[in-house]
Amino acid sequence: MAKSWCIFFIFWPTLALAVCWMAPAWGWWFPGDAASTLGARIDDLFYLILIIVSVVFVGTHVGLAYVLWRGSSFNEPKALFTHGSHNLEVIWTIVPSGILLFIALYQMDVWADYRVQSAFPPEAVRAPVAEVTARQFEWRIRYPAPGKTLQLTPQPDDLYTVNDLHIPVGRPVMIQLRSDDVQHSFFVPMLRVKQDAVPGLVIPIWFDSVRSDTYELLCAELCGWGHYKMKARVVAQSDANFKSYLAELHREQFDDGVPSAATESSEAAETASKSE
Amino acid sequence: MTLFRLHQLLVQPKFGSAGRQVIANNFVWEVLPVRNRASFLVPAALMAVVIGCEQPQARFELTERTKDLMSPARTAVADAVEENFGTPNDLVAWLRSPTRYGDNTGHVAGGDGTVSADSFPAEFDEPVASDLSGAALRFTSGKYQGQQVPVGQFDADAGQLVLGAVLDPPVEQDTQFQVVGDVLQHGRMLYMTHCMHCHGVSGDGEGPTAQYLDPRPREYRLGIYKFTSTKQTDKASTDDLQRTVKQGIPGTYMPSFMLLKDDELAAVVEYVRFLSIRGEFEKKLVDELYGDYSTAAVNDRLESGESEDEIESQLTAYIQDDLPSTVDFASSDLASSWTNADTEAAVVVPEKSRVPDTLESRKRGRALYVSDRTKCVTCHGPKGRGNGSATNDYWKVPGSNETYDSRGLHDLWGNKLSPRDLTRGIYRGGRRPIDLYRRVYAGIKGTPMPAFGGTVLKDDEIWDLVNYVMSIPFESEQPSPGNEQLAVTVSDQPR
Ligand code: HEC
Ligand code: HEC
Ligand SMILES: [Cu+2]
Repeated sequence: MAKSWCIFFIFWPTLALAVCWMAPAWGWWFPGDAASTLGARIDDLFYLILIIVSVVFVGTHVGLAYVLWRGSSFNEPKALFTHGSHNLEVIWTIVPSGILLFIALYQMDVWADYRVQSAFPPEAVRAPVAEVTARQFEWRIRYPAPGKTLQLTPQPDDLYTVNDLHIPVGRPVMIQLRSDDVQHSFFVPMLRVKQDAVPGLVIPIWFDSVRSDTYELLCAELCGWGHYKMKARVVAQSDANFKSYLAELHREQFDDGVPSAATESSEAAETASKSE
Repeated sequence: MTLFRLHQLLVQPKFGSAGRQVIANNFVWEVLPVRNRASFLVPAALMAVVIGCEQPQARFELTERTKDLMSPARTAVADAVEENFGTPNDLVAWLRSPTRYGDNTGHVAGGDGTVSADSFPAEFDEPVASDLSGAALRFTSGKYQGQQVPVGQFDADAGQLVLGAVLDPPVEQDTQFQVVGDVLQHGRMLYMTHCMHCHGVSGDGEGPTAQYLDPRPREYRLGIYKFTSTKQTDKASTDDLQRTVKQGIPGTYMPSFMLLKDDELAAVVEYVRFLSIRGEFEKKLVDELYGDYSTAAVNDRLESGESEDEIESQLTAYIQDDLPSTVDFASSDLASSWTNADTEAAVVVPEKSRVPDTLESRKRGRALYVSDRTKCVTCHGPKGRGNGSATNDYWKVPGSNETYDSRGLHDLWGNKLSPRDLTRGIYRGGRRPIDLYRRVYAGIKGTPMPAFGGTVLKDDEIWDLVNYVMSIPFESEQPSPGNEQLAVTVSDQPR
């Protein structure tokens, strides 16, 4: 009887390990490899911690199992009573603290690169690609006009889209995140970026995409009944494609509906504004 | 979806009559020998146990005005509408209505696929765009000619079509068939998922979420849409509706459905048009009857000495003799107006391209804005804040002599409405110059915002106004009307 309890308690951690082991094969894992450089480093940190935790987990459970198993046979000599061991306590305090301290120091670079503004890649900071405004229940996006830089306040020639953020691939880009109403969270799982959008704040975040692809952008902060609707896409495309995307957006947005004269008129406006 | 179809198989059989096809799944047990009826019933029962019995049945509600008719009239209207449009779970493809139900033709193919009692390899004349499940299949040749079965599903890769019914003996190779209604069916699925909770099952704008929203979700049943590219008297074009659904309506709760695929967008918009046409059809029938047979009218008539029998026999005569022609008239009217909206002739296209956006142009625009010709200022206010003097007036209810109970503007749906605050730079109908041009040219349908194009203002003047309106959000804080400080920035077009 005692042995079967023993087996019962050993069974669960074993199952937990087995499931974790199989999880990637079943697709219960990350949604694919990180598609950003910072994301890859975040994944590395995750795996490092996973390894440490697994070793500790397996170690403790093997120990526990051993004790259970030994204790369940009654022909052991009678147990000793002890008031504890000072040395042992010192060891099991210092070793985990050491590990925690190591993790804390080791991840600092990644954290700083991700969140500390002075560590942001300067080329990303110089020209933020867009302002992303979360709003119940959509993402409104404002790009500066081609060749201009993004201003904090809307400009007459800004370009607007909704639920569709385009970024150039292969280099760090920065966006300005805001919220129109309540708290939302900008979450692109494939790029491993997640940042709350807080009403009243303009929060810069940077990321990059290592390949041309389309990613899901989700809201990761329960923001109201329509939270589930806040799904958008991030399209990472080559510089040339990104430029022509903006140019197309610009053409479309300043469309005056006169067939084929659209370009003429914007040229006319250009000369007009120069002549002033 | 599966549950839905199982329910379908349990509903009472009915056949569409000439010119109509019942899309969803009404087939007739007697005509088509169904040997394994039990095999549907058993899983249905099991599922009911697992899922917890019946889903609430989706219903198309009648409008308040219809409900206000005396009861034989109400029934006549309800029947006519249901006959031609069906119910949410049994949509009817009324071929006289200008809806693109989805129409695919094909034949039973030979080749590797096997013909069995409930499936066969199918070859379509054109590739089928959307999911066919739930559409109606009508054989146009062979021994089942003229008969209709529901489609279970079509696997486009394997080319195998599974029927929602059993044909014994199986169909022969080369039998021709037509599959109708896939687009509408697909649209209905999407609509119920994405739109119903705001716009309501019947498109009455009264979904469960609607009460929390301002502005209220659009009611489709008047057939009127605000943000269109078409002339003042024209309906919304399919493109307009698609654009609205794709872009959302900024500044309102109408979300953007950017991520729908093209065929999904087309399908869901087709369903919106279907609901609109259905609603308008109902309205047109009611309009004919309302004057004589509404509760109030009947009471009046009783008071003035007519007897109940007289009224009823008059109504019966009307329903027999005149209603069919009203139905005819209503349907052809709807067909022409909705079809027309999709033609080039309906679209507002400026004759001249945009006047260069200069300070002078903006000043001319400002002058027009405050002028008596346009009276923009009476609604939108001297600074464009949407607080003009007209917002303090009591307005007349259109088509009657009464005024609204509260001050300010109202739209046709009876909702209170502020003129747009133009300082915010949020344009519900889109921010392209052409969008604003069309707003001014054709007005905003269903609202007091008037149409100025063609009659009041010339092209150049509208463009001046557009240039001015687009500059309002960028005006410095204290502009004195009409002076040089009109704008800080004159749009410098990027290279
Ligand atoms: C969160 C609620 C909500 C949802 C969900 C929603 N809508 Fe709307 N919709 C609105 C509101 C509110 C308006 C009215 C905006 C206004 O009056 O300015 C509207 C307006 C519209 C209009 C009218 C535009 C015009 O020009 O008058 C159409 C068409 C429309 N919605 C289609 C859809 C479709 C199709 C879906 C689903 C794919 C959908 N809506 C989902 C809230 C919603
Ligand atoms: C009778 C009152 C009235 C007058 C006069 C009027 N408007 Fe409006 N306007 C409105 C209302 C009401 C709305 C909001 C309609 C809605 O969204 O349902 C509106 C909306 C607008 C919009 C916003 C369109 C959008 O896409 O969001 C613009 C721009 C506009 N008006 C410009 C003008 C100009 C320019 C004039 C004069 C030529 C004018 N209006 C005259 C009542 C008026
Ligand atoms: Cu959110």
